[in-house]
Amino acid sequence: MEMLQEYWPFFVPLIASQFILAVTALVHVLRHPNYRFGTKAFWIPVVLLIQFIGPVIYFVFGRGED
Amino acid sequence: MHVLEIKGLHKSFGKNHVLQGLDMAVPSNSVFGFVGKNGAGKTTTMKIIVGLLKADRGTVTVCGEEVAYGHTKANRHIGFLPDVPEFYGYMRPREYLQLCGEIAGLPPRRIRERSEELLSLVGLSDVSRKISGFSRGMKQRLGIAQALLGEPRLLICDEPTSALDPVGRKQILEILASIKGKTTVLFSTHILSDVERICDRIAVLDGGRLVLSGTIGEIQKQYRSNSFSIRFASAEQAAEFVSLPELGQAGITVAQAGESLTITLEGENTHGQMLIDLLSAKQITPERFEVMEPTLESLFTEVVQ
Amino acid sequence: MNHFHVFFKKELRESVRTHRLLIILTIFFMFGVMNPLTAKLTPDLLAKFLPEGMIIELPVPSSLDSWAQFFKNVTQMGLIVVLLVFSGILANEITQGTLINLLTKGLSREAVITAKYAAMLALWSMGVLVSSLVTWGYTVYLFPDGKSHNLVFAVFCLWLFGAFLLAQLVFSTTLVKSSYGSLIITGAVVVFLNILQVFPGVQPWNPLVLATHNMELIGQNLEPSFFARPIGLAFLGCCLLVVLAVVVFRKKQI
Repeated sequence: MEMLQEYWPFFVPLIASQFILAVTALVHVLRHPNYRFGTKAFWIPVVLLIQFIGPVIYFVFGRGED
Repeated sequence: MHVLEIKGLHKSFGKNHVLQGLDMAVPSNSVFGFVGKNGAGKTTTMKIIVGLLKADRGTVTVCGEEVAYGHTKANRHIGFLPDVPEFYGYMRPREYLQLCGEIAGLPPRRIRERSEELLSLVGLSDVSRKISGFSRGMKQRLGIAQALLGEPRLLICDEPTSALDPVGRKQILEILASIKGKTTVLFSTHILSDVERICDRIAVLDGGRLVLSGTIGEIQKQYRSNSFSIRFASAEQAAEFVSLPELGQAGITVAQAGESLTITLEGENTHGQMLIDLLSAKQITPERFEVMEPTLESLFTEVVQ
Repeated sequence: MNHFHVFFKKELRESVRTHRLLIILTIFFMFGVMNPLTAKLTPDLLAKFLPEGMIIELPVPSSLDSWAQFFKNVTQMGLIVVLLVFSGILANEITQGTLINLLTKGLSREAVITAKYAAMLALWSMGVLVSSLVTWGYTVYLFPDGKSHNLVFAVFCLWLFGAFLLAQLVFSTTLVKSSYGSLIITGAVVVFLNILQVFPGVQPWNPLVLATHNMELIGQNLEPSFFARPIGLAFLGCCLLVVLAVVVFRKKQI
């Protein structure tokens, strides 16, 4: 907790940018239900739980054709 | 005046000689049906015309300008609709047409006017969602709009109707028929009823060359076989007519179906007049006497074997 | 409007709408924050995991550690993400056929290649800029020690190396059909440059040093002039690869 207080100028922007990326990916997963591989049930936890890498993997490998 | 002239076109893919000396001419303001089996080389021919493929030999001239692979000058006369047109799914139809218009070098105002005209022609005026949500038929119609954007003198459509359901097909054919007279249309297909519906000229491609071409009327006249259909008042009367010794000559085949006869004359000195003379001599008035026209389908199967 | 301009606009719009820009900006922003933070926290974390009673002298972190993180992360993860994001930029258009409508309208093939490369460069530049500015800000905040020098030049070297790899990606994407194929070729080039490092005669020319020797520059252990030849070669390489890509793409039957 002490560390969080001391380093909030780092954690706040990190959490915010991770949040933006995760939400954008989540919206895309929900609105474009055809994926190159995997299912909705697979991609939702991936983009929400794997920080930064999850959404990137989804956008690079997982998303279907637009 | 020919909008498109092709002379001695050759193209091979490895050992597969797709085009072997194709000659073809498309007169202006015609709706030209380009018919052939799957794999006959229709798409290859079209891709050479629009400069996507390089011909091995032969020349293609569009509106008097020779097409040179890698240079796109002649393309300004042509609108091209590929068999399955693909778009950027993240764009909306108007954005896409604007991109096309800018590439074609149209002034911004003209692009806006043309876009509205064409979107209403193809029935997409009220659609503003992204293209990724379009059905196959909607994409095909947007494809026609993009092809017509630069007011081309020649519109080339590769199998525009093959992948569509009957409603979608009907819409596409109506659009093509509606631009008749303003733009010359060359479209390939293997659906003969589409050709009969809107084309005034056809060319049949087989084995890498044209095996048949001309206006539909000319072709039917040229291939009119000496076949006649006669319907009598009764089946007995028909049977009586069949048994006449004059019809027993070599070169005459007769098929009876109830009160109707189908008679084919193959001998050199037999023609329809002989049947009329015979009917008149026997004092028979048939209910119907018809010279049989070959259907496109029978012609097609006959020439491509 | 000329074709380059029109197609470049289309590429930028594509990058925004397919979230390429967002991915690159957030990932590079994240690096920007993480670099100084990792430098700061690593000694503390190490200390926590040391066995009770054991005392070793842990060096006090400085701005140099923060920049070392920057060059490590951006050359490894950062470049990989950028290459992955752009790997399909031409291959997808060719396999899907989205270029056909535009090419038959007279779009010049040079414009396709150069506009795509320009868009890649634009996004890569934005990523590097965001990441280095954020790293710089936090580094000054945490380690106001003034130990880091030649920052702009060191970042430029890394940027140029990225530009060289992107040119390589563009060229390889005209050679092979799949997006993975072009990635493999680009990866092979990096491996090849690494092997070349073994030969002392090649080293002073190798563009790879633009991404590996940045810390020596910042710590003033190497003169900037050391990078003159690699910079010249990388720049020439970019131009040559793009020209080759245009030549190959012009001949391509689509």
